Amino acid sequence: MNVNFNNRDPVYLQIIRYFKEKIAVGELAPGEEIPSRRELANKLKVNPNTAQRAYKEMEEQGLIYTEKNHPSKITTDIKVLGKVRNELLDEAVDMFVTSVRSINVPVEELLDLVRVKYSANDDKEA
Amino acid sequence: MIEVKAVEKNYGSKKILKGVSFTANKGEITCLIGINGVGKTTILNAIMALTPINSGQILIGGEPIDKHTFEKITFIPDAITMLPHMTIAEAMEFMNDFYTGWNQRRATELLGFFRLNPSDKISSLSKGNTAKVNLLLGLALDVDYVLMDEPFSGIDMFSREEIANVFTSHLIENRGVILTTHEIGDIEHLIDKVVLLDDGMVTKEFNAEEVRETEGKSVIDVMREVYQR
Amino acid sequence: MKKYIKLLNFEFNRIAKLFVVLLGITFVTQIIGVIVVSKNYLNMANEQIYDERINKVQFLETYGQMSFLQVVRSLWFVGPIALCLAGVALYIFLIWYRDWVGKNTFIYRLLMLPTTRLNIFYAKITTIMIMTIGLVSFQLIFLPIEILVMNSMVPNEFRADLSVVEIVTSILELSIIIPGSVVELILFYGAGLLVVSILFTGILMERSFRWKGIFAGLIYSALAVVILISPLLLQEFVLNGYFYPSELLVLEIVMGLIVLGATIWMSGFLLRKKITV
Repeated sequence: MNVNFNNRDPVYLQIIRYFKEKIAVGELAPGEEIPSRRELANKLKVNPNTAQRAYKEMEEQGLIYTEKNHPSKITTDIKVLGKVRNELLDEAVDMFVTSVRSINVPVEELLDLVRVKYSANDDKEA
Repeated sequence: MIEVKAVEKNYGSKKILKGVSFTANKGEITCLIGINGVGKTTILNAIMALTPINSGQILIGGEPIDKHTFEKITFIPDAITMLPHMTIAEAMEFMNDFYTGWNQRRATELLGFFRLNPSDKISSLSKGNTAKVNLLLGLALDVDYVLMDEPFSGIDMFSREEIANVFTSHLIENRGVILTTHEIGDIEHLIDKVVLLDDGMVTKEFNAEEVRETEGKSVIDVMREVYQR
Repeated sequence: MKKYIKLLNFEFNRIAKLFVVLLGITFVTQIIGVIVVSKNYLNMANEQIYDERINKVQFLETYGQMSFLQVVRSLWFVGPIALCLAGVALYIFLIWYRDWVGKNTFIYRLLMLPTTRLNIFYAKITTIMIMTIGLVSFQLIFLPIEILVMNSMVPNEFRADLSVVEIVTSILELSIIIPGSVVELILFYGAGLLVVSILFTGILMERSFRWKGIFAGLIYSALAVVILISPLLLQEFVLNGYFYPSELLVLEIVMGLIVLGATIWMSGFLLRKKITV
């Protein structure tokens, strides 16, 4: 695990985002055990209290759950998991739209360009 | 909790501390930041009763320091506090002799963690390894509070990383830590609380995560604001 | 108490090397002295008897027998004792300052031990006392060995044999280091202890207040001396010999104990409240 945190956003939010990304791409499967807060703090090189806070927040959002005396696990709730994916997508598109809007491009032209670039990227990776 | 209340300290006619107040909680890492010569080390020395203060009060767990306090709090100065001709094993034995809170199991673990050889003489160690031994001697004590003076300064990058790892490990768990530094750099994400010092005074005391959340500022942003005013 | 013993053991181990070196130098130099002085005497006797052709009796009448006192009066014997004295005197200061100076910050450790800081003072002063008494004891062990060496070199008839006691009592300097009675021993070493503790307090004043502390230390020492000899001064200048000598002695002992107590209290205060690393 290697994450580059920025210094201006709360670290606990950055940790949550990190987990959401992993969930969205399926790197963390529903029901999968996640590291203890201590292990996480150690792996990410963050303050253990911050890791604790991130877990607490994720628990409240229903992203993870903890049964007594067991390690925390990723939720199996399909609704929550779906929401994570949508949320990330929403966020990314929002950011894209905001930055593109300033250039004032017709939406059709933009979509064509996106299509070309997106598939070109796919080809490269393939 | 360690409470530093309106502490003043003069060296001759020079005022080093001009009424310093702050608190450091158990279970949190508090970082004293300030340029060199601002009085960070003096504050740590004063907390440990290693130098007298002219006025003010310092409480550890609600009480002024006495001989029993040294089983509850330990100080890791920026130079090693053992005789150079001693081996690491001898230094550990010394600690074991005098402190009931010496935890040999943890000391052994730390030896492995830092990859130190107990039969090495302290005087023969590199700077980084000397700093690690110094840290080991403090962290292997079962104490509530650990003070560290510039644990990252003047040592190589890899030793720094290893020492930084200590802060996220169980070795620090539930303890109160006060550390000083003149550059926040790579430990920004490790600390809970920041106490900014300038010219013998506390210019700002804040929770690092809180200012990120409420003001969207990094510790360095806050420092820039405070110091460039 | 347990921590004091541990500290004492630790402090003594730190000087053990120096101690052994001083003992070695003393023993070797004194033995060489015995040999050299005996040789000189024998050479002279040979010269006189064989070259100048005077007989033994005449020689002994003119030059006398050789006694161990000749060795004791030589630099070979006194030199190493002076060296040991200087060593101890230097160590009274070194035992504190070496914990501060240079890269060594051992004083941090000592002051942060979970025990009363006066134990550091006690351990250090006991170390000085043990070192002094140790050196003197070994000198007492060396003496018969040295006498034996002389006896093996110088024939009976050229020798005036003296016992260790006779040797010690006939040289003033030696009789101070090695007192003849228990009372003297307690008095001399008690006075020594007092002097060292006053010096320690002076050192702690300097360590607490630096430059100003040196003056404070000097004033403190002077004051301690004045208080200590105040009965003598009174006796001499005010009371015109009112006290019997034995009464004066008791008074002096009382004053000594008072000064010692004040000195220890002051050192404890400095270590607790004023010392700075």
